[in-house]
Amino acid sequence: MSHQRVEQPASGSASEPLQYKFADLIADPVVRDRWEQVRRYFFLRESTYDMTRRCNIRCNGCYYYEGEKQHAVENSDLEQWRRLMQAEKARGITFVVLAGAEPSLVPERCQVCFDEIPLGAIATNGLKRIPGEIGYRLHISVWGDDETSYRTRGAKEMLVRQTDNYRSDPRAIFVYTFTPDNIDQAETVTRLLAREGCQVTFNMFSAPVGYTGDLRHTPNSLSRTRQAMLDLMVRYPQTVVYSRYNAVAHTHRLGLHDLYGCSYPRRNPSTDVGLGRSFRQYRTDLGWDREAACCVPDTDCSDCRHYAAGSAVVTARLFRHATDPDTFRSWLDYVDTYLAVWVRDYPRGANLSQNLVSPPGFDLI
Amino acid sequence: MQAGSNTDNITLRIAEIMIDELKLEDVTPETFDPDMDLVDEVGIDSMDLATVALVLRDEYAVRIDEDDYPKLTTIRLIATYIQDKLDSAAA
Ligand code: SF4
Repeated sequence: MSHQRVEQPASGSASEPLQYKFADLIADPVVRDRWEQVRRYFFLRESTYDMTRRCNIRCNGCYYYEGEKQHAVENSDLEQWRRLMQAEKARGITFVVLAGAEPSLVPERCQVCFDEIPLGAIATNGLKRIPGEIGYRLHISVWGDDETSYRTRGAKEMLVRQTDNYRSDPRAIFVYTFTPDNIDQAETVTRLLAREGCQVTFNMFSAPVGYTGDLRHTPNSLSRTRQAMLDLMVRYPQTVVYSRYNAVAHTHRLGLHDLYGCSYPRRNPSTDVGLGRSFRQYRTDLGWDREAACCVPDTDCSDCRHYAAGSAVVTARLFRHATDPDTFRSWLDYVDTYLAVWVRDYPRGANLSQNLVSPPGFDLI
Repeated sequence: MQAGSNTDNITLRIAEIMIDELKLEDVTPETFDPDMDLVDEVGIDSMDLATVALVLRDEYAVRIDEDDYPKLTTIRLIATYIQDKLDSAAA
C-alpha cells in the first residue's frame, strides 16, 4: 500500500549515520533566523475553555453538540471565571483558546479571560461582533459559500455578515473547513475574502465519534482538497495563511494521530512533560475531564485532521523533522503558519520550502 | 578513561548546552545541579528537550527517542542515557 511506514533507523541507536547535523540545517542564515523566531514562542502553553452552551446557529457535524459537554451546567459567575484564569496562569498556562458553543454570546466572560491571560484565540461563527477591547486572535468559521452555509448551518448570508463584522480587523482570520461537499467553493470564498482584505487559513472536517453523516472525507476528497489548498496558496498569497507542508499533513490518507502520534491527554497517559502534563479542556461549568481533554473533544481520533490538533501535534515533532534541509524547512513553515494563525501580530515570513515533503516515515499521500 | 568520568564529562556538557540553548540565567555548568528536576525545577518542556536532544545528536551521534523524553527528568539521567547508548554501540 502506498501509505506504509518507511523503514526508519533503529531508534536510539548510537553512532547513527547522520546525513545532516542540526548545525547544517540551520547554517543558512534565512533558516537560522526563522528557527530563532519560532523558538521564541516555545513558551506558549495552551488550554481550552467552553464559554457557554448557547449558539445562535446549528451546524451539521458541530463538535460542541456531540458527547457530554453540551450538558454541563453553565457557570455565569464572572468572579469564578476570573479565579479560574488566575489559577491557570499560576499553573503555567500562557495561551487560552475560547470556544464552544459560541463565545461571542458571552463577551463579558471573554473579557475576563483576556484581562487575566492576554494571549489567546476565540473560535467564533462571526455572526456577532466581539468587542474590540478583547484583543485575542479571532477564528471565524466558514463552511462553504452562502448557499452551502445555509444548508449545513441554517444561517443566511453568513459571509456577508461575517465580513461586515470583521473586514480590516487585525484580530480576524477566517478558517475555511473543507468537507467533501465544498471543495469547489473554496476559490469563490477566498476571492471574496481577498477582495475584503481578510485572511484565510484552512481546516479539514474531522468526523466526531459515531458520526454517520456525509461530511466524512474520502481518499478522493482528500486529494482534491490538497490540490485546492495548493492552488489557492499560489493564487492568493496575501490572503491565504498556509504552507505546503500543512496541506500534506492535513490531507494525508492517515489522520494526524497515525502520522505523528497525538500528545493530548485524551490519547497520552503521561503527565510528565508536554501537553499531557499541562493541557486541559474546561467545560462551561469550569470542570474538566482528563479522559476527554483534547482541542477538539469527541472527534474520532482515527479521522482527526483538525487544524487545532495539528498546531500542537505536528509542531511538537521537531526532532523528527530535523533530518534534512527540506523536511526541516517544511516543519518551520508549519510552525510559522501555526503561530501566524494563533498569535495576534506574529510576523509571518514567506514559506521556506517550495516542495511537497512527506511526513517523516510515511509516503506523500 | 573510566565510564564514570565519561558520564561526568557528558553531564557537564549537557549543562553547558542547556544553559546556552535555553538561555538559562544565574547558573553555570559547574553550579547546575545534575539531579535537579528539569520540568518541575528548571521549567523546561518537551520542545526545549527536543532542542537539546538535537544538539546532543550532533555531538554524540545518539538519538534520544521522543518516547523517552518523559524519563529524562534530570541532566544526570540524560547523561547516563547517552553513555548507555555509546557503550552498547561500542560493545
Ligand atoms: S481527536 Fe485528534 S487531537 Fe483529539 S485526542 Fe484524538 S487525535 Fe488527539
